[in-house]
Amino acid sequence: MAFAVRLEGLDKRFGRGAREVHAVRDLSLEIGEREFFTFVGPSGCGKTTTLRMIAGLETPTAGRIWFGDTDVTALPPQQRDIAMVFQDVALFPYMTVRQNIGYPLRITGLPRARIDEKVEKVAATLGLSDKLAMKPGQLSGGQQQRVAIGRAIIKEPKVLLMDEPLSALDARLRVEMRTEILRLHREISSTIIYVTHDQVEAMTMSTRVAVMDQGRALQIAPPRTIFRRPADVTVATFVGTPPMNIIPATVVTTPGGMVIELLGQQIPVVPSHHGALQGLSRVEVGIRPQSIRLARPNPDRMPGRVFLREPLGLEDEVLVEAADGTRVKVVTAAGEEFPEGSVVGLEFGLLDIHLFDGESKDAICHGIG
Amino acid sequence: MSRLQRSGPLALLLVVLVLVAFPFYWMLLTSVTPREALFKPPYRLFRLDFSLGNYRELLFATEFVRYFANSLIAAVGAIVLNVVAATLAGYGLTRFAFPGKKTFAFGTLFSYMFPPMLMAIPLYILFSALQMRNTYTGLILAHMAISLPLNIWLMWQYFQIVPLSLEEAAWTSGASRLAALRQVCLPAARPGILSVAIFSFALSWNDFTFAFILQTDRKMFTLPVGLASFVEQTGVHWGMVMAAAVLVSVPTFLLVFFLQRYLLSGLRTAG
Repeated sequence: MAFAVRLEGLDKRFGRGAREVHAVRDLSLEIGEREFFTFVGPSGCGKTTTLRMIAGLETPTAGRIWFGDTDVTALPPQQRDIAMVFQDVALFPYMTVRQNIGYPLRITGLPRARIDEKVEKVAATLGLSDKLAMKPGQLSGGQQQRVAIGRAIIKEPKVLLMDEPLSALDARLRVEMRTEILRLHREISSTIIYVTHDQVEAMTMSTRVAVMDQGRALQIAPPRTIFRRPADVTVATFVGTPPMNIIPATVVTTPGGMVIELLGQQIPVVPSHHGALQGLSRVEVGIRPQSIRLARPNPDRMPGRVFLREPLGLEDEVLVEAADGTRVKVVTAAGEEFPEGSVVGLEFGLLDIHLFDGESKDAICHGIG
Repeated sequence: MSRLQRSGPLALLLVVLVLVAFPFYWMLLTSVTPREALFKPPYRLFRLDFSLGNYRELLFATEFVRYFANSLIAAVGAIVLNVVAATLAGYGLTRFAFPGKKTFAFGTLFSYMFPPMLMAIPLYILFSALQMRNTYTGLILAHMAISLPLNIWLMWQYFQIVPLSLEEAAWTSGASRLAALRQVCLPAARPGILSVAIFSFALSWNDFTFAFILQTDRKMFTLPVGLASFVEQTGVHWGMVMAAAVLVSVPTFLLVFFLQRYLLSGLRTAG
């Protein structure tokens, strides 16, 4: 595959001795031409450090960075074909919007008329045409972020880096800008590398996502795969709202075949999965709250008592407590059925169950039907 | 707010204004009063015997113009060198990691605490050996020895509030480190740079100690020393001394008058 950026055993440590922080650990991946690639993870997971190494703002402790066939590891940011949008916008406060957007071209020494022409084109794309004479301080947060994006795309960089560009905006504007950035991705030829802690942003915008934790990439895959086949418990609970229920269970071999004992209930495992479960006893079962249905109690359904019911509008989030005290979150249609305190049975399909190793927390299989 | 509450602070301000402004008014008045009229009773707050005789005498019969030029050269030199050195030092202290950085930063502040007199004697000996007494370079360096530490500390503080991401945005836009410093960092630090300029000027312009000890040649006297010599030489010709005082305060007045607008606008953008 033609790739735009390749990371090879990338490693970054800050500080020394006892205060050393191992920010990125042995990260290797390839990002294709014109991809929208997102690093997502909690704060401190190493995603921003990785992006800054790709930008040339941090020097890796070990490993190499390739742009196409060129090793750029030792090159400063000025000599990499990149542009970057910063979390704190980082517009030049005493320059006008026009000067801010045109700044990368001014560096190249392009004639003034050509710069103006390009600035006006970019401003039109971003809906900033009437703001060109203003200073950043006179603009709203969303407009400022548009200017920052304009400054980044005017050079038509090979790689466009975005470090949590939407985190400073309010929720409504964030959704709006998400669409805007997606539209830009379709229009420009740059490869976009995006960093966010917001899994919804990552899932909705990206062609591929790297879920990071403690300096490692736990899974690198398209959003749908991350959602449907999470590589381990951390990925499974990080992606999706509310988070996936993770319930401890045991694998037991009975005369009738292999079963999983879950909350006092026995779930048979189809023979095709026996191999994967061979030798395991402690496992963790993952079920998304949306995959569980509340029903009247009956012997085939997992029994529980409604502990808390939170109306969210169209849907309710219901917390159900099982006999042993385990709490299971269920998302169900809004309604008066099964109020707090009522006894219910939980129903779910075997295809919606994810099995994780109880020790390593890695995924064993997705769906046991 | 009632009228009484408002007029209270106003009255206070008025009193302070009179206290501050009266000496200036008296200086101006004395400078345009002829020598003969000055000590002739009655002494009034307003006089009408206006004359520029004191100024004429000051400019044409004394070395005042030379002193003025000397002071101006020393002050401009001190401003330029202070601004360049303090800006680069402040930038370096905030943007680069090197061993002993903290010690250096606090060391500069500590060295500001020495009284000028403590340094004047060693400098006299040193500059004698280097034949730098009675030179502009020597005087400028002496003034820098006093003002630079505080200026470095000031610029160090200033660059700390200029976000690094501004420069990083410039670098990722293709700007070299120097271009980013010039086009992005310096404009953002402009209020700091102006403070450095004003402080350097004020210190150099008002310095008596170093000029008095290092500049022994009459031709190299600066204004403060020259003015003092007026007092000793000819008895006290108050009208002329006041005329000199008026002219001495003009550059200070102009500097603050024009730069305060930048200073305020700088504070506004920073806030």
